[in-house]
Amino acid sequence: MRKPLRRLRAALAAGAAATLALSAAACGDSGESDADVTFWHIQNEDPMKSTWAAMADEWAEDSGLTVETSAIAVEDFKTRLSTQTQAGDLPDLYNTWGGGVLAEQVEAGLVRDISGLECLDKVNPVALESYTIDGKLYAIPFDQGVVGFWYNKDLFAQAGITTLPATWDEFTADVQLLKDAGITPIALGGGDKWPVHYYWTYLVMRLAGLDGLEAGAEAGDFSDPAFVEAGQLLADLAAMEPFQEGFESATYGEADGEAAVMGEGLAAMELMGQWAPQVQRDASGTDGPGDALGFFPFPSVEGGPGTATEFLGGGGGFAAGADAPDEIEDFMCYLLEDENQARAVKDGNMSTVASNPAAVLPEPNAEQQAVIDAMATATDTQLYLDQAYPPAIGTTVNDASQGLILGELTPEEFVAMVNEAWAAEK
Amino acid sequence: MTATRPPGRVSAHAGRAANKVTPRSRRGRRLAGATLAAFISPALVLFALFVLVPVLFAAYIAFFRWNGLGGMPTDFVGLDNFRTMLGDEVFLGDLWRIGLITVLSIVVQLPMAFGLAMLLHQKFPGRTAFRLLFFVPYILTEAVTAVLFRLIFSPRRGFADAFLAGLGFDGSVGWLSDRSIVMFVIFGILTWKFFGFHMILYLAGRQNIPEELYEAARVDGATGKQLFWHITVPLMGPTVRITVFLSVIGTVQLFDLVYVLTKGGPFHASESLAITMYEQGFVRNQIGYASALSIAMFLISLVFALIYQRYVLSRDTQGALTTTAGGRS
Repeated sequence: MRKPLRRLRAALAAGAAATLALSAAACGDSGESDADVTFWHIQNEDPMKSTWAAMADEWAEDSGLTVETSAIAVEDFKTRLSTQTQAGDLPDLYNTWGGGVLAEQVEAGLVRDISGLECLDKVNPVALESYTIDGKLYAIPFDQGVVGFWYNKDLFAQAGITTLPATWDEFTADVQLLKDAGITPIALGGGDKWPVHYYWTYLVMRLAGLDGLEAGAEAGDFSDPAFVEAGQLLADLAAMEPFQEGFESATYGEADGEAAVMGEGLAAMELMGQWAPQVQRDASGTDGPGDALGFFPFPSVEGGPGTATEFLGGGGGFAAGADAPDEIEDFMCYLLEDENQARAVKDGNMSTVASNPAAVLPEPNAEQQAVIDAMATATDTQLYLDQAYPPAIGTTVNDASQGLILGELTPEEFVAMVNEAWAAEK
Repeated sequence: MTATRPPGRVSAHAGRAANKVTPRSRRGRRLAGATLAAFISPALVLFALFVLVPVLFAAYIAFFRWNGLGGMPTDFVGLDNFRTMLGDEVFLGDLWRIGLITVLSIVVQLPMAFGLAMLLHQKFPGRTAFRLLFFVPYILTEAVTAVLFRLIFSPRRGFADAFLAGLGFDGSVGWLSDRSIVMFVIFGILTWKFFGFHMILYLAGRQNIPEELYEAARVDGATGKQLFWHITVPLMGPTVRITVFLSVIGTVQLFDLVYVLTKGGPFHASESLAITMYEQGFVRNQIGYASALSIAMFLISLVFALIYQRYVLSRDTQGALTTTAGGRS
């Protein structure tokens, strides 16, 4: 009777060991890499993809640490980052847009305070605003710009448009002219929702003014008539059917999405940020409209206090996870060296955040010049709402914007939906 | 399915079986019990750790408003999340869409797979090739399938629109962008992907029906139609019941294919329960509400599984544990 007992003990031990091993394997963070520094960015197309990788490698060689660089398409990046946030484990260096999303991560203690970074004099202080929360800095910027209409000069000329629209009425008249000429006026990635929210936000900025928008956000209440009116104007625009076929499910960056449609010259304009010309080329696999591409700010709206010099904008920055090694600050400063900023601006076709732009971008191209000019005339800026507000509110604004242009929501229902989200957040 | 079988019956059978095998001393029996425990414990611990604990934890946080960040939830809101859910048009839409896909599956997809299985059971040259061909879509991952169909249904230049243009129909159908047809397009893709799987099950079921039954019936002068309705259909019952079960559970849990294809859009027109849960939880950081949704999803699956097992599958599962080779399989 001893033999079976021993066998039983062995079986028990084996079972226990297997259990432990399995649960250990499952509990262990299998997503974590072995590298000293994990670096997540969203420039997943060359040349910028290679440029980040090269800078990371160079710094790795200097510092003796290993860096694992991941280039992730923007929508996938947001998805992966939000799951990482829930897991309480952010990458050591990762792309951020600042605002409410970053604030939530900061509040959870997941982000490194880099207020003491030694190389901050390399950066224009204005570009740090989105990343400063309660007086502390949490990210370095690498790109800063504004959202406006990128338009195809050739198509505008074909439609007989001679002067750029300065008011909303002129804008809708031009949309009609383009339609009459058989040209798709506007490219829109409606399936991604966030490109739609630019329209609503800009209309609110024009009709309620930045003060009105800020007051609404502060109170968590968008009941002011200006918000409904903004929705009505957007609904009226959508009723003109100005968007490309299939915009309802189109993405921004895929090969049949908003940027590609612009890149191939199939639509006359898109409302997008400073990265638009680059993505037009990348997504369409063409050279884009080239010299035919122009830029004009979102027009003012008759009767509203907002002016065309107030911009919706923002940029990209890098924040560091709370668990990042101290050397991460050294890496950030390496990225901010004049020479490296110049590489990013050149290869990524970004607008500069340097305190001394001439050192980084001595000869801007037409696209960069357009953004630089707009920023120079800007009297005030507002960060994209889906980044500025807590995720629950920003997502609701995006979602409702899509519902509005599809005619599924009235402007009143839009406001009610966002107010409900505000109420739930309080 | 093992998990939902009434536990009493299982243990009764197991006990009887054990009695027969080891009619020895009490000590021996205790030893057998210990062995059993030793071999079951790894699975049991894993099951508890990765199924029971998360389910209970989700049930717990469904009563809180919580963004999932920093420690444990503290903001107790009682049944608020469930109340919100019952007034949430997206959630109610999810239920409607589950119903729609389920009905379409049972009325269109499964009969089609059944018919095809009957055809492919006949002997004809190249039937193996056909079986393989119809089964291939099932092997693709759902994400790849979705990417593929995004290309096919891309407006104007996608294969679907280009094909119609070739036939002389102009313009774009808006396969994925028209709210009124997107669900039917998704059903079409689901059918393309899963009918091969059901077909293989039916084929296996058909092959298990002994030829002697048909021979005997033919000797008695039965027609082909009679053979089908009085032998094939009744004896395919167990297989049909299982495929319906798998189809419904699969529909309730639909996620990857739709998420990659449309993200649930345009404006929730193709959203599934799992996508709503994901969006609320991981995009809006409303883990409490998302947990309430997950509990709803769990309950829907559980209640359906229990009722279906009790009333529909009971004939098939009876004694399934104790019958040995040679019994009905």
